[in-house]
Amino acid sequence: MENRTIKTKDCLKALLHFMKPYRFKLSIAILMIVLTQLSFALNPTVEGMITTSLMQDAMDIIQGVPGAHVHFETILGIMLLLLGLYVIKTVSQLITAFFLTDAIQMTMHDVRNALQKKIQRLPVRYFDDHAFGDILSRVTNDVDALSNALQQALTRVFGAVLTFIFVITMMLMINPVMTAIALLIIPLSLIITKVVVSHSQKLFEKQQNTLGELNGTITEMYGGFNEIILYGKQQDAIQIFQDVNDKMCKASFKAQFVSSLISPLVSLCTYLAIGAVAVFGCVLVIEQKLQVGNLQAFIRYIWQINDPLSQISQLSSQVQSAFAGMHRIFGMLAEEEEPLEKTEVKEVDTMKGDVKFEHVQFGYDEDLLMKDVNIDVKAGQMVAIVGPTGAGKTTLMNLLLRFYDVKGGSIKIDGVDIRDFKREDLRSLFSLVLQDTWLFHGTIYDNIRYGRLSARKDEVIEAAKMANVHHFIRTLSHGYDTELNEEANNISQGEKQLLTIARAILKDPQILILDEATSSVDTRLEKMLQSAMQRVMKNRTSFVIAHRLSTIKNADLILVLQHGDIVEQGTHESLLEKQGIYEKLYHSQFAQQEE
Amino acid sequence: MKLIINYLKPYKFLVLLNIVSIFGFALAELGIPTLISDMIDEGVLRQDSQYLFRTGLIIACIALIGVCGTILLGYCCAKISTSVTRDIRNDVFKKVQTFSHAQMNEFGVSSLITRTNNDAYQIMVFLNVILRTALLTPVMFFVSFTLTIQSNLQLSMIIASTIPLIILGVILVGRFSEPISEKQQGSLDRLNRIFRENLTGIRVIRAFNNDAYESKRFDEENRFFMNQSRKLFKLMSSTEPMFFFVMNLAALAIYYVAAGMIDANTLQVGKLIAFMEYLFHAMLSVMLFCTVFMMYPRASVSARRIRAIFDSRSEITEQNDAIDLEHVDSLEFDHVTFAYPDGEEAVLKDISFSVKKGETIAFIGSTGSGKSTLISLVPRFYDVSQGSIRINGRDIRSYKIDSLRACIGYVAQKAVLFRGSIEENIRFGNAHASQQEIEKAAHVAQAYDFIMEKPEQFQERIVEGATNVSGGQKQRLSIARALVRHPQICIYDDSFSALDFATDAKLRKALKPEIKDSIMMIVAQRVSTIMNADHILVLDEGKTVGYGTHTALLKNCPVYKEIALSQLSEEELTYGK
Repeated sequence: MENRTIKTKDCLKALLHFMKPYRFKLSIAILMIVLTQLSFALNPTVEGMITTSLMQDAMDIIQGVPGAHVHFETILGIMLLLLGLYVIKTVSQLITAFFLTDAIQMTMHDVRNALQKKIQRLPVRYFDDHAFGDILSRVTNDVDALSNALQQALTRVFGAVLTFIFVITMMLMINPVMTAIALLIIPLSLIITKVVVSHSQKLFEKQQNTLGELNGTITEMYGGFNEIILYGKQQDAIQIFQDVNDKMCKASFKAQFVSSLISPLVSLCTYLAIGAVAVFGCVLVIEQKLQVGNLQAFIRYIWQINDPLSQISQLSSQVQSAFAGMHRIFGMLAEEEEPLEKTEVKEVDTMKGDVKFEHVQFGYDEDLLMKDVNIDVKAGQMVAIVGPTGAGKTTLMNLLLRFYDVKGGSIKIDGVDIRDFKREDLRSLFSLVLQDTWLFHGTIYDNIRYGRLSARKDEVIEAAKMANVHHFIRTLSHGYDTELNEEANNISQGEKQLLTIARAILKDPQILILDEATSSVDTRLEKMLQSAMQRVMKNRTSFVIAHRLSTIKNADLILVLQHGDIVEQGTHESLLEKQGIYEKLYHSQFAQQEE
Repeated sequence: MKLIINYLKPYKFLVLLNIVSIFGFALAELGIPTLISDMIDEGVLRQDSQYLFRTGLIIACIALIGVCGTILLGYCCAKISTSVTRDIRNDVFKKVQTFSHAQMNEFGVSSLITRTNNDAYQIMVFLNVILRTALLTPVMFFVSFTLTIQSNLQLSMIIASTIPLIILGVILVGRFSEPISEKQQGSLDRLNRIFRENLTGIRVIRAFNNDAYESKRFDEENRFFMNQSRKLFKLMSSTEPMFFFVMNLAALAIYYVAAGMIDANTLQVGKLIAFMEYLFHAMLSVMLFCTVFMMYPRASVSARRIRAIFDSRSEITEQNDAIDLEHVDSLEFDHVTFAYPDGEEAVLKDISFSVKKGETIAFIGSTGSGKSTLISLVPRFYDVSQGSIRINGRDIRSYKIDSLRACIGYVAQKAVLFRGSIEENIRFGNAHASQQEIEKAAHVAQAYDFIMEKPEQFQERIVEGATNVSGGQKQRLSIARALVRHPQICIYDDSFSALDFATDAKLRKALKPEIKDSIMMIVAQRVSTIMNADHILVLDEGKTVGYGTHTALLKNCPVYKEIALSQLSEEELTYGK
């Protein structure tokens, strides 16, 4: 799926929106930048006053004017003024630093939170279509690039604009003709910058895309670490990585080099302008139309213009990475969310748990996987779903929990279309245990409590006991306070599954979904678990996807799926009588035992 | 820092060129003011306009040289920084490929990802700053100092006196920022981890309606990260104004001293102007130098995190006189005891058994009994703590690791597939496999039918995370991947769990003729999967509680009997006989 593209203007608008809450701090910072630049612009003129005064005195001394000496009183007075300017500048810079940092870092904090919240509102499809590494890179690399650019470039860019305004004013006051010569730099620089940036922008985007690719490769290779070392594929992996890495190196070299051209080209204009102004200015000084101090100040002003120009271009690589990052951040934030929900609130606490599929049609893409599914489950019944691997058993769960919406027909709980529920309310009816056990980095206690955050400690322990995992937890050195590590591989797959079962039990839902949940629990434990489950499933509607047919013999309804559609349904006995797919499936488990 | 210098070594020439080009830049920046001061002293005072124009031309020439220098600088800088980053990434990646499981767990996958990606990037940014601006400052100081010392010693001393102050400042800022920066990076790791968990657990989080809880968890860490960043950036961005202020005071001092000199007629005004220009340019370069502060703490933490990878030593080592393992006739566990590197208690205690070519050994036992750990010792994911594992009578540590693993087909509980076509994924097991071999393996693994149902068949793409195939399909593909290797030791770590019974049965039937010359090791939950094995080892809490065949164990091993009875009826058990 293509990433949503977003215009730069909209990006900036979005960024401004994020900064809005901190406008007070930002305004102060900006005010202080103005003050800084103002005093910075006045410095050369005041320094020039000293030079002029000294030059005057020096001329007098050389020409032997009687009583000629340096007027220390005048000079000291000017120096005091200068000191004042220096202090103002330093203090205002410090204030800027503090307020700006606060505003930017707080904004970045909000952007990160927004991204985290965004992933909660994106449809599940988005995650099936996008690589994790790529999404992750938006929160880390892209936000980081943006933060760095704002932190370092904002003051400079804004300062540069002010420098132009103030400095040009000062220059005009000194000499309009010289100003005209000097100002030739600006249009020239702009042209140069524009030409270079138009080239480098593309290169930066390419660099950022390659970075995403690199990230994806790293994520995959590290994730498949086991396979790689087992199959002795280290060399191949290194080769693949080196290729992508090389591509990355080339892309970033090009981007960096091209954007680094701005600075010297702008400097060339400046140097030439300074040379011209110096010659012209000296002629004016000889003709006594200009004071030496002003010439000095004027040349300093040209440097002051050049300085931000060349600095901006030095920062431009950062700014451009930031722009590319910003596109990706706000592009993701602009991504379409799960469709809005009906606002009417349904009273879910008193629901019984009747589930009805009426002519449900569904497919992940254009093709329909389910063509016409009809199921009728009464509250408290146990429904078993069987079928060959890949027959679409998980799809039923995706639809029930509205991870995906049906394409035709409807699913009703207690007679209410599930699309008429708020998603939260709908999901609060369910508890599920997936084959792919997901636990987070935290204590075992927190992981179980995750099922119902308001649960008391004894309730958590009770749930653990029911899932037969209490004893195991007690044997761990830190008991319930044992931290699961990042990959949660300090406990076995089976133990993880028990924890997810405890978590599901704690939630105490009307409808329970067990998706191949017990496949990694050994059968001795499973037996105990089954009995626990029986207890839990009593008075609850439950959907069980299991491969051991013996465990579902006593289900109230067995659904046999094939190629996404329900091909048979009924009880164990009725299906056996039918002598259809189920019967074959059931007997195949004895077939191999006869060998 | 050391790390960066090491990586710069191959680019000595470019670094040298980089420094030379900085001199070109300094020549322009400082040469032009010098020439202008000459213009004032010589041209204006002597009213020699001819001299003015001549000097103007020289300025143009110097400007050109300066520009060439800067372009060259840009080239060197980009080339060096990107190449060094590439080299670092390559080395990190290579190093990670040599990691053992213990090391992998110690670092964690997402931290390794950040290290390879983000930390290397930080170093690139830093290197850029060093090469472009940080080297500039000493050069500028050096050049302006030499220029001034010739004309006036006293004034040049004032410029020189600012240097120790600035160096002191550099050290202080470095001292304060380092710990903050470290905290910030650690926090970034945690932030990434939570986000990653949010991505991988998307369905579970939604099903439990725990969005708010996740947001809170994320926000707590995010807030901590923000506060550290605020502290750090505030510190960093106050250094520049402070340094500038020092330079400003130096300027005042120069004016004051110069005024006295002019009064005594020992200094020309043009020289004073030149002096002020030098100081101004030195100041600008200091300002640029301050960006180093913005970068250094981050870069140094990043460098340390990368170095931690390089410094990490694998406890799985190869003996110098290791020999190649060519064929496997027997496998033997001799009083093997094993504890995880950070674990206190042994997971496996005194395990002994032996199997010969063509035999199957199965491991069964409750969750946490150590079955998976046991088989992970065979490919040397970990080394035994006591006792030994022997192949053909020799300790497996005396074989070359690659040759040992080449003999093993290992199908893990949780199958990982890679991006690429299905065919590529199967071929992963054996790069030289022919088309027929691949199809055969797919047939045996019961994957052929579903592969042919895919629109692109064997060319069907597997996306990242293999989310477009089901769990059972993933397992079958990973079995095909192992089969195509024709392994002499087949290890199945509960690999049939995601398969339904029918597929499970068919698979094992098809597998039988394939493995008649191999040793097969199976970890299973289902008794039916293993009841025909030659040896069954029953594990309980890491100890052997039963060893023998199905029938024997049913008679003399209560644990086994309990497991078997829980799955099969009395009748089914005998049915098998």
